[in-house]
Amino acid sequence: MIFTIFKKELKDSLRDRRTLMSMLVIPIILFPILINIVVFVSKNLSEDIATREIKIGVVGTDKSFIYTELSSLNEQVGKKKLVIYKDTASMLVDLKNDSIQLGFFTHNNEAIAFKEMKPLAITVYHNGSDVGMVERAEAYMKLIEQKANLNRLKSLNINAEQVTPLKTAYRNIASDKEMFGKLAGGMLPYIFIIFGFIGCMYPAIDLFTGEKERGTIETLLTTPVARWQILFGKMGVVVLSGITAATCSLLGLYFSIQTVDLGAGVEVMDTINSILSFQFIALLYLLLIPLTIFFAGILIPITIYAKTFKEAQSIITPLNIVIIIPAMVALTPGIELTTITACIPIVNVALATKDLIAGTLDYGLVALSFVVMVAVAIIAVLVSYKRFGREDSVIN
Amino acid sequence: MIKVDNIYKEFILSKQQQKELSTKDTSSIAVRGISFECKPGRVFSLLGPNGAGKTTTLRMLSTIFKPTQGSIFISNIDAVKFPNEARRKIGFLTGSTGLYNRLTPNEVIDYFGSLYGVNEKLLMERKEKLYALLNMNDFQNKRIGKLSTGMKQKVSICRTMIHDPEVVVFDEPTSGLDVITAENIIDLIKDCKNQGKTVIFSSHIMSEVDLLCDDIAIIHKGSLLYNDTMEQFRNSMQAENLTAEFIRIIHQSQVKQ
Repeated sequence: MIFTIFKKELKDSLRDRRTLMSMLVIPIILFPILINIVVFVSKNLSEDIATREIKIGVVGTDKSFIYTELSSLNEQVGKKKLVIYKDTASMLVDLKNDSIQLGFFTHNNEAIAFKEMKPLAITVYHNGSDVGMVERAEAYMKLIEQKANLNRLKSLNINAEQVTPLKTAYRNIASDKEMFGKLAGGMLPYIFIIFGFIGCMYPAIDLFTGEKERGTIETLLTTPVARWQILFGKMGVVVLSGITAATCSLLGLYFSIQTVDLGAGVEVMDTINSILSFQFIALLYLLLIPLTIFFAGILIPITIYAKTFKEAQSIITPLNIVIIIPAMVALTPGIELTTITACIPIVNVALATKDLIAGTLDYGLVALSFVVMVAVAIIAVLVSYKRFGREDSVIN
Repeated sequence: MIKVDNIYKEFILSKQQQKELSTKDTSSIAVRGISFECKPGRVFSLLGPNGAGKTTTLRMLSTIFKPTQGSIFISNIDAVKFPNEARRKIGFLTGSTGLYNRLTPNEVIDYFGSLYGVNEKLLMERKEKLYALLNMNDFQNKRIGKLSTGMKQKVSICRTMIHDPEVVVFDEPTSGLDVITAENIIDLIKDCKNQGKTVIFSSHIMSEVDLLCDDIAIIHKGSLLYNDTMEQFRNSMQAENLTAEFIRIIHQSQVKQ
């Protein structure tokens, strides 16, 4: 009987546009679209910033130190045109109305500063909302400072190595996989937790509140099928939808990474491919299944309680935030899977997946996370069972 | 056969319900000690104004609700103790019955046939017979959402009868339907009676009651005010017509209270 109900509910759900959108379409197309847009925009933006000719204001004359140095820089750091100003006030007016993009002002007399071997104070004015300009100014100043430093050391007759007492090298012993897991691995559980929840949401509302609202539940309850069988048949579809949505979102993400040039390099792509082993996928689903059952278990009592589709949506929407917060924990650096975090539902799945990607998994903690998730899933199912058994909840 | 003995139904009121009903009572009694019997081959009508307890009573008969007290026997099966067994004998249809709009009539009938445990051969035979009787062949594979109200009502009838129930429960089956569509229901009730099934239906439309029923019960504020044969009801009438008599009985009970 459970399977008969499951089959019918699945057929019914697959013909519902909202469920199809949340279960298949959005999870599959969201990441390819999102990644394409981000890559396109950032590529164009960075190209534009790098190649864009900017106007630079300099207070002083064309004989001043900063003017000469800026003019001598080649166009590798970007095209530029220098404009001379008599005072900072007029230069700042032009900077504000975007006639120029950077402004340089030298505070002290440069001839005296160089002669007396004192630092030459330079202020670089920039508009922080103009993306990439401060980086351009820093690049100019880095080259000018390097040249000035070498000249001063030369005039002091000092070898550059003599004033460099330490040479520190930092070596990363973490594997690419580990690095990827720790830095980007938090994204994966975040994605499948969110999509797993959204995937469960619409079928749950449709199969419980919707059935009440449409007046079909009454006839279903007069059939010789036990209520728990009806509940389990419907719950099966909710869980399947959540798992499908999570899987589709991961597939969408994977194919986006494979097909869109992210500029990530071959090493990163090889790392991603090496992560996707059979063991990884099996362990991922081991965590994903109780998580989705837990989601179904908390959504179903709400959808049974709600009298209308609208009411159910208005209760569940804030619940999204409650789910997002523990999912975001995995994105926070420094929080690891420990005995304590393994006992916190959702957080444990997020952190275990992060470790799973990094390959730094402690199987004992994964087992604990799994047991905790199964326990909360059972509790959530029991709550659903109790709520579905209540006459006043099932019938409007 | 339906045998109802002294059934009560009490609902616990939530704080929100107490607020909505402007009451401080923590519970509400919808049905108070009702007893009656519906015999095979006869149509029993449960009459009462809105909120009288008709739907609650029929929901208890259909095992959707469990009585707080009392017993219900459906074809000699204790429906309170063995609801699943009793459900096999019951066909249930309401005026507000919804159907699965995204499925076709065929899919809905197959689904309910499976839920009632009707074997495939029997299901095919019954479908063929009911489709022909209700003229459903032309739209059996169209999505229900695209059907007219009349067509949907035929699907509901077919769904109700697919397991050939011994007892058929109709809760205001014609409410909201036009005269032509309502006629399908009237015909169905007559057919059920002719086939020797036990039929109980609730209504507040006296013309329907006059046309169909053999036995009548009047219910008001959860209590049974009258229960006898239709013939006896007609003979003992003090008002000039059935509607007036129904109103008179209701008013008389209010005066007594």
